Amino acid sequence: MNMPSVILKSTVLATCIFWIIIISENFQSGMIPFIFLSIIPISICCTITILFTVMPFFWFKSDGLRNETVFKKYFPFYTIVSFCLCLYGVFELTFAISFFVSAFFTTMQSWVWIVKDN
Amino acid sequence: MKNIPLLIGAFLFSTLFYQYSIGLNLSLFCLLTIVILIIYNKNLFKKKSNIIFSVVFVITATSVFIYKSNLSIIAYLVAFLTLIGNVSEQNSSLYVNWLNGLYTSIAAFFHRKFNSIEKGKNVQPKQKTDYLHLIKIIGIPLITVIIFISLYKKGNPMFNELITKIDFSFINIQWLLVSFLGYYLLSNISKPIQIDSATIYDLNTGNSLKVKGDLVVDRLRKENQLGFTLILLLNILIVFFLITDITYLISTNDFRASAISNQVHNGINTLIASIIIAIIIILYFFRGNLNFYKDNKNLRIVTYAWITLNLMLIINIVIKDCQYIYYFGFTYKRIGVLIYLLLTIIGLLTTSIKVKQIKNFWYLFRVNTLTAFTILIISSTINWDNYITYYNLNYAQSMDFNYLLNLSNNNTFILKNYADENNLTEGKKSLIEKKHKTYLIELKSKKWQEIQYDNLKLNKD
Repeated sequence: MNMPSVILKSTVLATCIFWIIIISENFQSGMIPFIFLSIIPISICCTITILFTVMPFFWFKSDGLRNETVFKKYFPFYTIVSFCLCLYGVFELTFAISFFVSAFFTTMQSWVWIVKDN
Repeated sequence: MKNIPLLIGAFLFSTLFYQYSIGLNLSLFCLLTIVILIIYNKNLFKKKSNIIFSVVFVITATSVFIYKSNLSIIAYLVAFLTLIGNVSEQNSSLYVNWLNGLYTSIAAFFHRKFNSIEKGKNVQPKQKTDYLHLIKIIGIPLITVIIFISLYKKGNPMFNELITKIDFSFINIQWLLVSFLGYYLLSNISKPIQIDSATIYDLNTGNSLKVKGDLVVDRLRKENQLGFTLILLLNILIVFFLITDITYLISTNDFRASAISNQVHNGINTLIASIIIAIIIILYFFRGNLNFYKDNKNLRIVTYAWITLNLMLIINIVIKDCQYIYYFGFTYKRIGVLIYLLLTIIGLLTTSIKVKQIKNFWYLFRVNTLTAFTILIISSTINWDNYITYYNLNYAQSMDFNYLLNLSNNNTFILKNYADENNLTEGKKSLIEKKHKTYLIELKSKKWQEIQYDNLKLNKD
């Protein structure tokens, strides 16, 4: 499994979603350095999320179980739980909407990348 | 061509929801959803169940337009998920429809992407897109043109003026993001998908119990004895409880709100615990082969007796709740108690059917979720605030005026009429006037996307 590639792609996707939402509200040229700086914390978040919430499904799968089967079996429930948590986060911390939206879409896409890379 | 309805839908989605509160837009979105579903799933809409759930969805959308209450919005969302889930699989249970509906709405795009990867393994790989080249042919000319524009601006004042006049402020990124969200949602629901594991398990599970392995008579006899003794003792206990409770109900003269409130709430707590334990015990003893044991007649009799006694307990609480309503008027909590009691009665009746007709746990779950769904939809079509206000003002022996004032705006007009036709204290009158004026201002400031039924009433007047 090409983990660095998945984490890299996830970081780029998360950064794009995160900043598009923020820029859509209010864009100032002073933000540009922060866009590049934010890549560091975003990549840490992506790595932790993927390693601790997505990868265990593939690492601890039963012997002989294909990655496609793991996806079909666990992805729907992971999605529903992730959606509920992100929705709760959006309602509780309205200012962090860009964080929760990017978290949701990035984790979903990272599942697809993990299966595809395999 | 295939995506044109979705693109139009996304544009409509933004037009309906961008920076607007809920009103007519939610009702129109219901029609948009049904149109998209019909366009992409023509054949499935010949099935009766899909038509029925579409009608239910339209009913909840109308309720949102008329009352705009939290209950009608919840019912709308549940009806939406039910319809989407039912289009994905017509024969599955209601709770599986909800799961499929939710999964489709939030992640069908990624599921389809995964499916295309899986299919792609069996077909010849397509030529890979050269993203680097794509970035080059878009990025390099764009950057070069921007550099040259800034150079020419300095060299020619007329060119500079022309460039300065170009105004991109009409492009609203947030509006585009909402459109994108609309496209994502509509594209997800256009071809509903399923959670395979849950759907297949549900389709393969019937409602009836079957004999598991051999009937070990000795073990079944012991289990039958244990069940009979336990439920008989519980019967005796509940009879004793009912006798003391009815005696108290007849003999008491304490009609203070706090006293009746305590009785109803304690009764409800007792009831919740009693019913849950009753159903768990019944499900435990009638979970397997004991259903087919020929000497289980006595166990069945005490079980039916226990269910009947629990029903009597419910009737007892209904009387207390009605007494409470008669003296102190309706509140949401008191109506909630009545609805809970109705659900409990249905739950107990379905449990007795389960015992009589040897049904399994899934039967109970299916029938009771359908009942809860039906009650939710019916409840969402009722203007509760209006009825509560009307009853409390005209029939209740005493009532809490501030409670009526704090209800939603659905009772504003009835309060206003009451204030005009009756002699109220100045304080109460001014509070009603204030609520009425605030509501009128709110209604008049609404955009067409946000209007509700009361706006139409206002225009008529």
